[in-house]
Amino acid sequence: MMTRSDRAMRQSLGFHLVAASITLLFAAPLVWVLAASLRQPGAPPPARIAWLPDPPAWSNYAHIFELLPLGRYMANSLLLAAGAVPLTILIASWAGFAMAQLPARARYALLTLAVVVRMIPITALWLPRFLVIKELHLIDTFAALLVPAWMGSSPLFVLVFYWSFRRMPAALIESARLDGLGALAIWARVAMPLARPATVAVGVLTFVQYWSDFINPLLYLKSETRYTLSVGLRVLQQMDLTSWPLLMAGVVVMLIPVILLFVLAQRAFWIEDQIGGVHGN
Amino acid sequence: MKYHTRYNLSLYVLLAPFLSGIVILVLIPAALSLALAFTSYDGLSAPGWRGLQNFRQIIDDDLFRRAVANSLVFLALTVPLRTVVTLGLALLLHRSRRGIGLYRAAVYIPTVIPGVAYALIWLWILNPIYGPLNLLLNATGLPAIAWLVNPHTALPAIALTALFQLGEGFVVLLAGLQHIPDEYYDSAELDGAGQLALFRHITLPLVMPWLLLVIMRDLIASAQNTFTPALIMTSGGPYYATLFLPLFIYQTAFDRFRFGEGAALTTFLFLGVAALIAVTYRLLGGWGYDDSV
Repeated sequence: MMTRSDRAMRQSLGFHLVAASITLLFAAPLVWVLAASLRQPGAPPPARIAWLPDPPAWSNYAHIFELLPLGRYMANSLLLAAGAVPLTILIASWAGFAMAQLPARARYALLTLAVVVRMIPITALWLPRFLVIKELHLIDTFAALLVPAWMGSSPLFVLVFYWSFRRMPAALIESARLDGLGALAIWARVAMPLARPATVAVGVLTFVQYWSDFINPLLYLKSETRYTLSVGLRVLQQMDLTSWPLLMAGVVVMLIPVILLFVLAQRAFWIEDQIGGVHGN
Repeated sequence: MKYHTRYNLSLYVLLAPFLSGIVILVLIPAALSLALAFTSYDGLSAPGWRGLQNFRQIIDDDLFRRAVANSLVFLALTVPLRTVVTLGLALLLHRSRRGIGLYRAAVYIPTVIPGVAYALIWLWILNPIYGPLNLLLNATGLPAIAWLVNPHTALPAIALTALFQLGEGFVVLLAGLQHIPDEYYDSAELDGAGQLALFRHITLPLVMPWLLLVIMRDLIASAQNTFTPALIMTSGGPYYATLFLPLFIYQTAFDRFRFGEGAALTTFLFLGVAALIAVTYRLLGGWGYDDSV
């Protein structure tokens, strides 16, 4: 006869089997890509799925940096993200803080605005935004790529900070106000130190947004010296479609910082009671 | 000035950058786009008034019809399937247990992969000669398929690639599921309710407001996220099989410099998405208990 603990163990085993196969399904392509990037360029197509090739062609990575100024593109992408992250955190957290503190009516109006703007398809803004950028004489500048940071990069980030600040004990802010502290001082000394997980999450998502951005560089950049990594990958693709190992090496270069950041910061996304803090309550 | 007034005033100062950004980057461009839709404009000479000409011309354009049809098929393929998969994954992974962080991270990872890199990865996976998917099919005795070259499989193939990018909805549904108090389940179980009944009468209605949010967001995202994969993987081909509205807008406005027509297309896209959202809300909004959001 099966005991209760037997059944629990079976259930747990079943869960881990299912979850592990899902993990494999979602993550296996990345391992494949890594393996593919280490194949000898020009080798005949593999007869079956090859894992780590022998010997691995690490020289592919050196080669793509010779083919294209990928180092420069990478520096451009990093520079862009480095500018966007602090600006976004500053503007989004200010807005979120103000929203959390304002009287109910203003709060609801602003919440509605943020949600509505979040719902506008960005595709619908490419063309007119291009014309605005053109009027501002920002075509072919980094500023054109950085411009979304002006509105906190995404209304979602403002909402994340809003939720995070709303969850703070009201008494903390009340007592700071009784001490006569101004809004900026309360934001800096009371609110932000308690909003670490939200700040980390917004920071990571902002980095990924600008590091990955393809459409804005495609629309606004003209000089090759200003290209970012995503445009660089597109150029690499157009150079030679048949050299998969080199192209996949480029993909890996673009993936590494994103995966690394995500793995390092994922606690801010997943810890049980912080999920509400990051993604809504 | 009183402290209270001054305090509220300074709150608006903190809001000012965000609000002015919304005006300059969203509201003015949206109004500009609407105005341009009634003009012919090439970006060089001044726009000339065309009335409804652009709209008429677009509706008669076979490529436009094709792009709309493709976009709708793409939505019909991805949104329902992705919603079900996302909900399934959230149900599986919402309870805290050993190793859960790893599983959740794996589910989220395809979502953080940069669009160009993601499209290139799939371009390789789907490649008929070098790609692992066909090697896998060969190994099981199935014939290789030239996924992106065949006009019948190109669109479903791109839809398949989009299926794995469900992290945003996944996180929202996790949060939604964690808001359902365990006591609800406990007392229902005492009443002898089975797993299916628990799901139908407790989980689904309570998670519905979140699900609705996820579906609406997914509609918007899927209506526009086709741009990068279509440009990188197929350039809209073969024979316009993967020409979606965003790519068509891009080509009209930025390859052919027909900003007026592009703006009219943009207006169509915007109204279309708004209509889809309204219909979805109409169909699903009444479901579930609305107290939890």
